[in-house]
Amino acid sequence: MAINVKVVERPLEETSYVRATLTGLGKTFKHLIDPHKVTTQYPEERESISPRWRGTHRMLTTEDGKAKCVACGLCPTVCPANCIKLVPGEDEQGNRYPLVFEIDEFRCIFCGYCQEVCPEEAIHLGRHYENSEYSREGFVYDLERLMAQTHPVCEMWDPADPKGE
Amino acid sequence: MADTPLVNLTIEGRPVAVAPGTTILEAAKTAGVLIPHYCYHPGLPVAGVCRMCLVEVEKFPKLAPSCATAVAEGQVVHVHSEKAREARKGVLEMLLINHPLDCPICDQAGECELQDYTYQEGRKDSRYREPKRFNAAEDFGGDVRYVQNRCILCTRCVRFMDDVAHDTVLNVSERGDRAFIGKFEGKDLTHAWAANVVDLCPVGALVSKDFLNKARAWELDRTASVCTGCSQGCNIIVETRDNTVMRLRPRSNESVNQFFMCDHGRGDYRRLNRRDRIEVPSILGASGHVTVDWDVALEAAARVIKGKRVFVLASPNLSNEALHLLSRIARRSGGAGAFRVPLGGEAPLPGAPDLALRADRAANATGAQLLGFTRHDAPLDLMQAGDALIVADHDLTEGDAASLSKAAVTIVIGSAMPANLPKADIVLPIANVVEEEGTLTNLRGRVQRFLQAKAAPGMARPSWYVLADLLGALGEKADYFVAGDAFGALAASEAAFAGLTYDSLGLRGLPVIDAARFAEAAR
Repeated sequence: MAINVKVVERPLEETSYVRATLTGLGKTFKHLIDPHKVTTQYPEERESISPRWRGTHRMLTTEDGKAKCVACGLCPTVCPANCIKLVPGEDEQGNRYPLVFEIDEFRCIFCGYCQEVCPEEAIHLGRHYENSEYSREGFVYDLERLMAQTHPVCEMWDPADPKGE
Repeated sequence: MADTPLVNLTIEGRPVAVAPGTTILEAAKTAGVLIPHYCYHPGLPVAGVCRMCLVEVEKFPKLAPSCATAVAEGQVVHVHSEKAREARKGVLEMLLINHPLDCPICDQAGECELQDYTYQEGRKDSRYREPKRFNAAEDFGGDVRYVQNRCILCTRCVRFMDDVAHDTVLNVSERGDRAFIGKFEGKDLTHAWAANVVDLCPVGALVSKDFLNKARAWELDRTASVCTGCSQGCNIIVETRDNTVMRLRPRSNESVNQFFMCDHGRGDYRRLNRRDRIEVPSILGASGHVTVDWDVALEAAARVIKGKRVFVLASPNLSNEALHLLSRIARRSGGAGAFRVPLGGEAPLPGAPDLALRADRAANATGAQLLGFTRHDAPLDLMQAGDALIVADHDLTEGDAASLSKAAVTIVIGSAMPANLPKADIVLPIANVVEEEGTLTNLRGRVQRFLQAKAAPGMARPSWYVLADLLGALGEKADYFVAGDAFGALAASEAAFAGLTYDSLGLRGLPVIDAARFAEAAR
C-alpha cells in the first residue's frame, strides 16, 4: 500500500533559513560584548569546594611519620564497594599495623564510611578531585601513596554544626 | 532420674521446670534467657567471682549470683529488672576502670563478652578520670600470650588448668587492683590441652600467638565439623575466610569432648590448607601424566580394574561413605582392603571423662574396621601379586614402596599425591575433610557428621561422589546425589550402621549398634 504523503505548501518567509541564521548570529555577537561571564577558566581558575567534599583518600600519620592505622579491619568491613584491601601484621615493638593497605579509587564510591568508622582517625577522604593515571593499576593507592597525599581532609561531620551550615 | 520431681520456677515471667540442684543461670538458659556472666562456664567449677550474673530473686534480701544459686520451688527470678540491671552496670563500670579499650587492635573484638555486655547494658561513658594501670604483655608459653591490661580476672583459665587439665600452672598473683594472672615459677602453658584457655577467656586477655592479627572475628565463616587429628573425634567449628581455614575451635558435645579440644587438633588447620593438592584427573601416558576429563578418567579406571582382584589401601581418615564404597569396589572383585594408623603419644585431659588426644592419629579407624578393612602395620603385605591397587588418600612409607611392584596397576584416589609412590597409572582428585560432607566413626563407635566448610581445589570432587561414579562405571548401580544418599546406602547394607539415618545423626552424632564393645575395650 502506497503511503499518502500530504505536501503542505508554506510561504517562503516560513521555510527560509536566512532569518533564523541571522537571529542566532545576533545572539552570538550580543554575548561577545556582554560583560557577564559564566565560564570558569579551569584549571587556571577553580571553584571553591565544600569543607565536607569527599574526594581522594589520605592516610594521616603520627609525629614519627608512621601511619596512624592500626589495621583493626573496620574500614574493609564497612566499605560498601569492597574497595579496601587490608592485611594486618605486627611490627618489632609488637604493635599492630597494616602490612598491606590499598584503596582502589576506581571502585570507591566516596561514601566516607571508612573515615566515619575509623577509631584512630587515620583514613580520611580529602578535598581533592583531580586524579589521572596512565593505567588502571595506578588507581590502586597503596599505603605509601595515601600517606604522601597533602591535600586538606574532609570535615565529615562537625558536632557543633551537624547540618553543615 | 526420671522419678525425681522437677522444680518449678518463673524466670522473666516464663515458667521453667528443671531438675533440683540446677543453678538459676542454667535454668534461665532453658527458658531462653541469657544471664550475662564471665566467670561461670559449664565445663568448670563455679567460682562466683565476677558478680556479673546477679539477678533479682523475689523474697531474697539482696541480689543473688545466678551461677551459684540453686533453683527452688516457686522462685520468681527477674533478670532484667531495674535493680539487677543497675547492679550489673556497676560491675561493668568497675571492670572497665583499667581495661584499655584497645578493641581495634584486640584479637577478641567481635567475639568479646565484655564488648557484648557493655553494649547490652553498660554505661556509655566512664566516670573515672585517673590514668589506667598498664602492664606489658607476657608470653605464657605454648600458643598463649597474656595481655594483662585486658584481663578481668574471671579465673576461668586458672580453674581450667587446676581442675580440668590437672596441671597447676596459673594463679592469681597480687591483690586488689594490682591482681593479675601469674604463672608459677618455671612453669609454662605447655600442657597438650592448654590452648583451651584462649577459648575460655571471655575477653582478649589470653590470645593465641598463632592466630594473632590474622583475621577479625566477624570476617570468619563458621561450619560444624569433626576433628581428624586423632580417633577421639572431637566436635569442632571450622572457621574459614576466603576459602582458607583460619583456625579450628571446639564445639561442645557432652558425649565426646565436652567443651574442649587439644592443641594437636588445633594445629591441624595447616594440613587442611595445604597447597600441593591434586587438582585434575590424569592418566599416565607414554610421556608422563595427561590431564583428562572426569568421564575419561573414570572409564579408564574401570577398564584397568575389571577382571582383576582389587586391593584398597584406604586412609583411616576417609569418611564412612567413601570407605563403604571402596569396600564395595574391593568386594565385588573378591579383593580386600587394609590401612595403617599413624601413631603418636597419648595425652589425656584428666578432668573430663574419656577425653584424650589418642595414640591413634586417624579419625575413622573404627569405621574402617567396621566396614571390613584390616588394620595392619604393613598393609601392603596383604596385597597379592597382580592385584589392582587403589591408594585412597593413604600415605606410603619407604617400606611400602618395595611391595608396590606386586600391583599390576596403581590408581591414586586422593587429595594429595602420596610420597614414595614411583608410579600412578590413574590419578583421581578428591576433596579433603573440610571440603566435603560425610560421617566419621570415632573410637567409641560414635558416628558423627561433618559439613563442608570450603570449596575443593580445581576439578577435585567429594570422595563419595568419585567412588560412586567409579562403581557406576564398573556396572554397579550407585547413583547418589548427596552425601546423605551414600550414607543411606551404607546404613542399609552394613549391619553395624543399621538404623542410623543421616538426619537422625544431627550434629552431635549417634553410636553404632554395638558401640558398647568399643567402650568395653577401653577399660
